[in-house]
Amino acid sequence: MRPLTVQPMNDAVSELPAGSPSSEATLLRSVDAAGAPVDSPELWIGVHIFDPGAVSLERLATSAQRFTPRVSLVAPDGLLLEVKGSLHLFNGTDGLIRALANECGTAGIKPAIALAPTPLAAMVAARVGKPFIVTNAAQLVGRLSPLPLTPLRWPQDVVERLARMGVRTIGQALRLPRAGFARRFGPEHLAELDRLTGRNADLRHHFQPCERFRRRRELTYELENNEALLAVLAPLLADLGKFLRERQCGVTELECRLRHRHAQPSRCILRLAAPVADVARLTELLGERLSALTLPEPVRSCEIRSGLPVRRVLASNPLWQPGEYGGSGGPEAPELIERLRARLGHEAVYGLQMLAGHRPENAWSTREPAAVNGSGAANDSGSRLALFRSTQAVPAPPPWPAFRRPLWLLHAPQQLEEIDGAPRRRGSLRFFGDVERIETGWWDGGDVGRDYYTVFDIYGVQLWIFRERAEPHRWFLHGVFG
Amino acid sequence: MSVNSELARLLEHPGIWRGTSVARTETLPTGFGALDERLPDRGWPRSGLIEILVSRFGVGELTLLLPALAALTRRPMARWCVWVAPPLEPFAPSLAAHGVVLERLLVVRAPAAHKRGSPNGILWAFEQSLGSGACDLAMAWAKRPRTKEIRRLQLAAERGRTLGVLFRPQQAARESSYAALRMTIGPSARGVRVTLLKSRGGVRGSVELSLQGCGT
Repeated sequence: MRPLTVQPMNDAVSELPAGSPSSEATLLRSVDAAGAPVDSPELWIGVHIFDPGAVSLERLATSAQRFTPRVSLVAPDGLLLEVKGSLHLFNGTDGLIRALANECGTAGIKPAIALAPTPLAAMVAARVGKPFIVTNAAQLVGRLSPLPLTPLRWPQDVVERLARMGVRTIGQALRLPRAGFARRFGPEHLAELDRLTGRNADLRHHFQPCERFRRRRELTYELENNEALLAVLAPLLADLGKFLRERQCGVTELECRLRHRHAQPSRCILRLAAPVADVARLTELLGERLSALTLPEPVRSCEIRSGLPVRRVLASNPLWQPGEYGGSGGPEAPELIERLRARLGHEAVYGLQMLAGHRPENAWSTREPAAVNGSGAANDSGSRLALFRSTQAVPAPPPWPAFRRPLWLLHAPQQLEEIDGAPRRRGSLRFFGDVERIETGWWDGGDVGRDYYTVFDIYGVQLWIFRERAEPHRWFLHGVFG
Repeated sequence: MSVNSELARLLEHPGIWRGTSVARTETLPTGFGALDERLPDRGWPRSGLIEILVSRFGVGELTLLLPALAALTRRPMARWCVWVAPPLEPFAPSLAAHGVVLERLLVVRAPAAHKRGSPNGILWAFEQSLGSGACDLAMAWAKRPRTKEIRRLQLAAERGRTLGVLFRPQQAARESSYAALRMTIGPSARGVRVTLLKSRGGVRGSVELSLQGCGT
């Protein structure tokens, strides 16, 4: 465990009467009976949350970091804070606990808080829910003894077997012979008791909050044209690349803010399908977006902000080039979509899917582009797939023969002119093949009754036209065979 | 006969170049035997730009590409087949009925002229798709690309190992082009008439094809 250089205060060792108002003064007055300083190198606060669904543990841990840098998560409902070094900043244990309770209150939860020299003891005592503040390691065992065994969260059968032996509290368990206890209930439970009393060290992982990248650059001159913006942003983007590389993370969202003298800051937000850490690619995408931006005024300062960094799973590149033998679509596939969308807009790039419907216009729809490949590279990063997940199972191929329907469909049927009841388009039309009736949709208001014909126009283009069954029997062009 | 077959086998050797052929390239059967015979290396090139000049939109140019489109999308490690600025909506059920795997299709809607009065959005999207290496096939419907731009497209297609198909009106036949293969397609009595205007190492001339019942 990391040694802490906090010197024990000579007499600030005391067990506070539970629940009584106390202050630094009472702490200082109470002196250990033996007069010798008995102090533990660490003091842990255990926070037990009764309804863990109310707030995310990570968020609570992030806000708890204002009390100490050493916060660790005890999933799913606990938090541990090592507070020895920060007690004096919060006016002693009581002040700290009150401040922590306030912090939890603003997050909308009412936790149980306990303080003990070992992390496990603090956690167990917090789970019991009664006031428990022990700063003296010598008193820890005595105070733990009356607590029940259940907050240790041992397996049910171990607790039951102990209960049959008449062992219901921690104190009774501690009094059992060590060798026999280990043999009967497993050495891991003995080790846990040792960590509880501080006999063995208890190592905890410290919680690392997610950070975002945010950097700003003030310009000494006013920048007017878009092309120079990228050059100005280059050092910021280089910093971003370093930031991401150190954390082995990528970003899926990047914001570029350009501040002006009077006007509102211009914002340019980049959203990516997969986490990106490659600065060259980010620069390219940002360049696309910036070139489309119209600046109301010259730029005075610029800022780059990242979204939450996302851990990247790096896949190895295939041996084959894309498109060669077994080569795959590879990482270029989402890159292409992003590049196209960055310039043309999100809706401009889409995939196609079939829908179960008899009306031609209801038989298809657009969709998010499908995942890169069914296998390999596409599966290893969940975040990449999040965007591409298909929304609907693909229906079986249509029952009609392939050449019965056109390859192109008009956005909406286009009415044809008529001469003596015969439809015309750029001249007369030559009918070909048989007629197909589509009559459906009466249940959803989109009632159609159409007789579809295949025709050739005078230029040899094969068209798909229909005649309404209902009055006034108008003719419409609906598709081109292509 | 046996000498001839021996000779034919020998000439198959990739190290032997003949006057009528450039270096052998990987090709993809068109699905039309008569057309395959006339194309260099018996099929569509796997990478490079081809131009299809149509007398009218919808005269049969997409049907001509359908067998290749279906074959490309059905490969196990298929890349995208991109449609850049198609004039109408591709009708998904019909494509599926022809054996095209819809998951591999990507439609890109691009404006002909970008806002800044800068390059054509269609050609930009087409070039990006060709050069990205993420596409097996990219098709674009563009009105008036300039010769210089077609050169860029051809280079991008070779870089990305992509087959690029540019559909243009027949009037463009008079202009010169850097495309590896140029053909016109127009109606005929039996189906369509495909005329090869330019084909590196292939035979020029026209061929009549019946489109019905091809492909799958």
